[in-house]
Amino acid sequence: MQRYLGTKSAKMALTVAAAILLVAIIALLGYRNNYGPKAFAQWTMDGIRGGSIYALVGLGFVIIHSVTGVINFAQGEFVMLGAMLCASIFELDLPLPPAVKLVVAIVASVIIVTLVGILLERGAIYPARGAGVVTLIIITIGATIAIRATALIIWGTRAKIVPAFTNLHQNDLIFRPFGLTLGAQSLWIWGTVALVLCALLYFFERTIMGKALRACAVNRRAAELMGINPSRMSLLSFAMAAALGAIGGVVFGPVIRPQYDMGLVFGLKGFVAAIMAGMVSPLGAVLGGLITGVAENVGAGVTGLYGYKDLIAFVILILVLLLRPQGLIGGEERGVEQS
Amino acid sequence: MKKIALAALTIFALLAVTISACGTPAPPPTPTSPPAAAPTPVAEATPIPEPVIGTTYKIGFAPAVTGGGSFLGVPERNVAEIIQASLDEAGGVTGPDGVIHEVELIVGDTESNPDVAASLARRYIDEDEVVALVMGSLTPISLAISAVAMEAEVPYVSMASAGVIVKNPDTGEVYHWVFKSPQGNLEVAQWQVERLTAMGAEKVCYMYENTGYGKDCFNNSSAQLTAAGFENVFEGSFERTDSEFPQVPGIEAAGCDVVIIGAIPPGAANAHVAIRTALPELPIMHGHGVCVADFITVGGEPMEGAEMPCSAVIIAEDVPADDPQKEVFMGFKSAYEEYTGEPVSTFGGHGWDALYWVVEALETLPEGLSLAEQRSAIRDYIETNIVDWPGTAGIFTLSPEDHAGLDYTSFTWFIVEDQKFVPFPQEDW
Repeated sequence: MQRYLGTKSAKMALTVAAAILLVAIIALLGYRNNYGPKAFAQWTMDGIRGGSIYALVGLGFVIIHSVTGVINFAQGEFVMLGAMLCASIFELDLPLPPAVKLVVAIVASVIIVTLVGILLERGAIYPARGAGVVTLIIITIGATIAIRATALIIWGTRAKIVPAFTNLHQNDLIFRPFGLTLGAQSLWIWGTVALVLCALLYFFERTIMGKALRACAVNRRAAELMGINPSRMSLLSFAMAAALGAIGGVVFGPVIRPQYDMGLVFGLKGFVAAIMAGMVSPLGAVLGGLITGVAENVGAGVTGLYGYKDLIAFVILILVLLLRPQGLIGGEERGVEQS
Repeated sequence: MKKIALAALTIFALLAVTISACGTPAPPPTPTSPPAAAPTPVAEATPIPEPVIGTTYKIGFAPAVTGGGSFLGVPERNVAEIIQASLDEAGGVTGPDGVIHEVELIVGDTESNPDVAASLARRYIDEDEVVALVMGSLTPISLAISAVAMEAEVPYVSMASAGVIVKNPDTGEVYHWVFKSPQGNLEVAQWQVERLTAMGAEKVCYMYENTGYGKDCFNNSSAQLTAAGFENVFEGSFERTDSEFPQVPGIEAAGCDVVIIGAIPPGAANAHVAIRTALPELPIMHGHGVCVADFITVGGEPMEGAEMPCSAVIIAEDVPADDPQKEVFMGFKSAYEEYTGEPVSTFGGHGWDALYWVVEALETLPEGLSLAEQRSAIRDYIETNIVDWPGTAGIFTLSPEDHAGLDYTSFTWFIVEDQKFVPFPQEDW
């Protein structure tokens, strides 16, 4: 029996059976509570929107981890900083038309957050580079708390406002396809994520820097022998992750009123997305983020357990870690030698 | 990978424990403008050759300056600073025997944490030897402090709203040493029942934030509404930092006539915007936690038509001159806005009322009382002499059976129109 269960086909069968059971439960709950396909479509759409940001955060986790082996728990704070800085800069009294001011705010906030990421790497990670991975992870947790405390001092506890990109107004333009509620900002979010993915693909496949990063991820020592500077790659990975987080924060800012402590939730759910990717696959991180977003939204909506929405994401995390720790997507080949 | 998984799980657990145990470390910025002259200074002592200075009275004051309750705690702390400045300017309070006593407000931070609050209260009582406590911006914090105050026999005025702070819900026994200054959620619910009856609504959907305040709102409202014959067809909770609202399709499917939201900004504004965007025709009502200008600014255009019960202090200038609360409103509003440069906060008003009860009681204490006698005298004064007392939250009448002193007529019903709070009198419903 043990041998039977251990085979790949048996595992596959079990997974499919579990998936069918899950879908059946969801359908049953939906039928009982009178939720039509419209409700499910709305939940899925909103879930993909939130999931896109988890995807960006997860991408940041994956990039940093595959190059340096560090799990950077300050990822979520980059999202918060991006959103808050964008809102603050937009509020300044600059003699520019609003559209230009918004572009300036976005560019400036992404640059500043990238600098924060670089500062984090040089100031906190690089000096401790000889220490074990767990030490570095705890350093990033310390960084999270420090960044959040600084945000509290700078901005207080009030929520800020990032204007919607379409109409540069506090309240977004709403489309109503098939009776669903679709904000124009959602289109911006999906477009941005698609653009970011294309840019990353191009970067990793076609540029020397990108290939050097990948080499570092595959085998650090060999990359070093080939003349690639691993500490510079580490710096680059942190800068990229910070930029990704900031872009996510900026583009998601109009959807939610940013507050100083919004980063924690994004960090943890982005971490779930990264775990689903086995911490190595960028595509896996994106898919993991989308799946997490949809699962928690549909799960909370159909069961009525709205207070436990975050619980669903963490149940997924624990299940993945227990049953398939190498990740759901693209983690099978873990040919990494971390120095 | 297994090693990473184990490490990640450990870190994750550590993080979860750390987050739940600690509040936010750093305090928010204090307003930089210096305190201006404040209203109602204490009466000058009758001229005597040399003013006799008596013992300094200390009041323990601790709102939730950081953490989830900071939206209430920061205005309350501002009020403490304003009142301390005005007391210092007047030199303190003067007793009936002409002796002048300085008053010192010991200001702390409960960090929105009941354990921190309880130990802070203990410290105030034992080490600082305060004559009274004015603490607790949120209900669970106030309950923790109330236990300490009852045991140490120190008068305690809470700045949180739930009725269970002053009265045991099961036995109906009123806690001897505990009072509260805000209006309660029960009174809010009573107003909501009136409005819903006038609206002709039958089915109600309820959304509340996952905090002590939100749950208390929900408990009170659903009890009152069910007793009045309305049907609660949907109930959903949400967090302050939520960005997605899966409750909205649920509300749509439930088919209710009105949505009631029990939360404070920005959560209340986010939920309102989400519901209003998906369901433009559904009326939305709130509790009294949203009576601040921030609520409308954070929400924007979808806030039009939101209804809620508030104290009329938010429109102090438009209150008729013969209203007994007009003077208090104008005094509080102008002092607050001058000190902080921000619009008036009704939460600060709860601190204002509470502190002035204690200060008024202090004015009746002769010199030479022991600490226990002072505490007892203050408690007795507040219980018996705060009658028809105009405050920012209403006209208080405290009694041995009622340590809250307000009924639902202390509220005015408001509606948001043109991005402002506009009174919505019953005749126009």
